[in-house]
Amino acid sequence: MNLISGIDLSANALAAQKTRLDIVAQNIANAQTTRTASGGPYQRQVVSFETQLVRSQGNAHSALQSVRVAQVTTDRSPGEQVYNPQHPDASADGMVSMPNVNLSQEMVDLITASRTYEANLSVVKNARQMAARTLAIGK
Amino acid sequence: MSPIGSVSSLFASAAPLTKLDGPLPKLPGATLAPAGPIPSTGFGQMLDGLVATVDAKQAQAQSLTQQVLLGDSDQLHQSVIAMQEAGVSFSLIVEVRNKLIESYQELMRTQV
Repeated sequence: MNLISGIDLSANALAAQKTRLDIVAQNIANAQTTRTASGGPYQRQVVSFETQLVRSQGNAHSALQSVRVAQVTTDRSPGEQVYNPQHPDASADGMVSMPNVNLSQEMVDLITASRTYEANLSVVKNARQMAARTLAIGK
Repeated sequence: MSPIGSVSSLFASAAPLTKLDGPLPKLPGATLAPAGPIPSTGFGQMLDGLVATVDAKQAQAQSLTQQVLLGDSDQLHQSVIAMQEAGVSFSLIVEVRNKLIESYQELMRTQV
């Protein structure tokens, strides 16, 4: 029994946006990381989403489309080269390859994820209010 | 579309059905006889099931919240949504109880 139908979809969307927020946090945290386990500087990670069918019982719409994180891919674009001969990761000619993280782009991603999260929260809130108002019919 | 507009359009569509002297129009697929044997589960059993479901929802919400609080899960929204669902289910059962008590009191007011 699920009284508030459609809320599972929003819950999955919230989880997906939360993952995106985590990845943005990881990108920003590693904006200066020049050394990783796989060698080379940190490479920016990008989240992509895909639809996911959610079965709901006793509903005309037998399968609703929710969302989930499809994959987290690596942005392969080259990072900035900075001249810093004192750096331990500097090459022979004194250049350090920095991560390809662009802070302004990450901030835009962050705000988009945050706003999308808020939008889904509004859906949850409204679905709950609809159910509560329906229960108030007899009052 | 305003709510009043939709209500008036509802009346407009219902107007052909208000002719009472003729036989009632037969709606396709609408039969008055029950389709099968009426299930023998009584109201008490139904109420029991409802209480059990609401209780299960409360327990689920509690366990999800506990998982979040203990750090086993980071799905904060799942916990809050489960709490909301449990709250709505509880409101539903309170409504059912209110209705039940109301009908009982109505019966008790019967003049003998």
